[in-house]
Amino acid sequence: MISFVVFSLRRAWQGFWRNALMSLAATATMVLMLVLLAGFWIIQTGLLSALDFTESKVEVVANLKVDATPSQIADLGARIKAMPQVAGATLITREEALARFQQSMANQGREDLTKYLDSNPFPASYEIRLTDPGLASTVADALQPTNQPAVRNVLDTKETAKNVKTVTDIMRTAGTVILLVIGVIVLFIIVNTIRLAVFARSEEIEIMRLVGASDAFIRWPFVFEGAMVGLFGALITLGALYALANPIGGFMVDFFRVLPLSFGSLTRDLVLLVFGAGLGLGVIGSWLSVRTYLIK
Amino acid sequence: MTLTSTEPAAARSFRERLLGRGRDVAGADRAVLVLHDVTKTYPNGKTALRDVELVIPEGDFVFLVGPSGAGKSTLIKLLIRDEIATSGSVVLDGQDVARLPRRQVPKVRRKIGIVFQDFKLLPTKTVWENVAFALEVTGSPRRGIRPAVDRVLALVGLTAQRSQIPSQLSGGEQQRTAIARALVHDPRLIIADEPTGNLDPLISWEIIQLLLRINELGVTVLMATHNAEVVTALRKRVVALEEGRIIRDEVGGSYHRVD
Repeated sequence: MISFVVFSLRRAWQGFWRNALMSLAATATMVLMLVLLAGFWIIQTGLLSALDFTESKVEVVANLKVDATPSQIADLGARIKAMPQVAGATLITREEALARFQQSMANQGREDLTKYLDSNPFPASYEIRLTDPGLASTVADALQPTNQPAVRNVLDTKETAKNVKTVTDIMRTAGTVILLVIGVIVLFIIVNTIRLAVFARSEEIEIMRLVGASDAFIRWPFVFEGAMVGLFGALITLGALYALANPIGGFMVDFFRVLPLSFGSLTRDLVLLVFGAGLGLGVIGSWLSVRTYLIK
Repeated sequence: MTLTSTEPAAARSFRERLLGRGRDVAGADRAVLVLHDVTKTYPNGKTALRDVELVIPEGDFVFLVGPSGAGKSTLIKLLIRDEIATSGSVVLDGQDVARLPRRQVPKVRRKIGIVFQDFKLLPTKTVWENVAFALEVTGSPRRGIRPAVDRVLALVGLTAQRSQIPSQLSGGEQQRTAIARALVHDPRLIIADEPTGNLDPLISWEIIQLLLRINELGVTVLMATHNAEVVTALRKRVVALEEGRIIRDEVGGSYHRVD
């Protein structure tokens, strides 16, 4: 068994270098396909985190009555946080609401008109983050003044929530479908490239069959060779991506400046994706290609 | 030569020494190959062989003759189970090759050494590596490969050319390499499919002499050929195929029918 594995690995290594041109062509194709796959995957990841960010902006705001007592306010806060659709709620006091307004006026370079007021006109409010933006209407209904005496009104975000939900769902589905389609195209191209490389060696396979080599002895060297193409392809791809990481990363950060994207696990996932896809495609490609030549 | 083995005991023991392995002498006179009522019809409807009956005892030397398209290639494909007979049985060394499970096919092929007109050598490997290849890809223990390859190269007279690649060899030397590769498994049967087709007459005779010598060592030889001169001169057993039927099977025959 061990000698069989050693034999197959040795033959795979020899086969790779003896047909260097074909092997390099296959590896180059593998690199291009992996770059394509990795590129779309990065875009998909950016898109998804942008969608998450957008959805997190959908929230329900409940304005409180000006005369609501602190205990009513605390009581309401506890009720809101107990709702299963609610991810969290922040109390904005009247003073904070005033300060926010003044800040936003100052940011826009407009005169602060609040100094002409003799009292603070802003109500306190709860800003409620949802587990799912599609649930906005449920939460809003539950917080109507008829149900909650401390609530003055609930800001109507139903339409916005619905629209955001529709758009993000479509973009998620489209992104996944595009990634799958690209994956299938990549598989076909890789299989065909490896098929050519195997075809170039059909004479050798024929001789192996004639002298009585078993299927395993014919198949596994090619499968290992396919794995080598996949591994080399993955290494070159990751090397290229690493070299391009800084300029592209800078561009991405500029582009998505407004969005606090988290790229923390991106590198690890990308390495896993590229190696997994390279190895998998190489092995599947050779397995399918060499099958044609085995005993009928 | 009769239809039973007349191999002298001395030759047998010499062969065993040469090929480095003993073999059960008890089954010496059983047939290596038995074809019974074999018909092969291809999926396109063309019938390549009809009702073929053929028995080849161990140690025999048989010429398979006939015009192109007579069914010689199909017959050889049936023996190595590249094709399966539509009906009838092909029994090689006691095993019906058509009924073999797929996994057993490679083991049967190792009992056959096959030599082609176009040599089928690997151009990037040396003579030695080409012969060793047959053992490596069949999972032979590595220790046994070197002595076995050295022995067969000595037998075919290529010890000096062992490190050359096929393009550095003459046609005759290439064919001798192919014969060495066919022999290295210590096969029951050597099938030579037009082995002299690409060689000039003098070299052809060299190859025939080598096959005869191998036959004298006890290996059964089945040689398909168009070389009338050789067949007629050697007076060995001749099986003639025409349009898929055996039209003649005689010992000491010539290439053409003598009425």
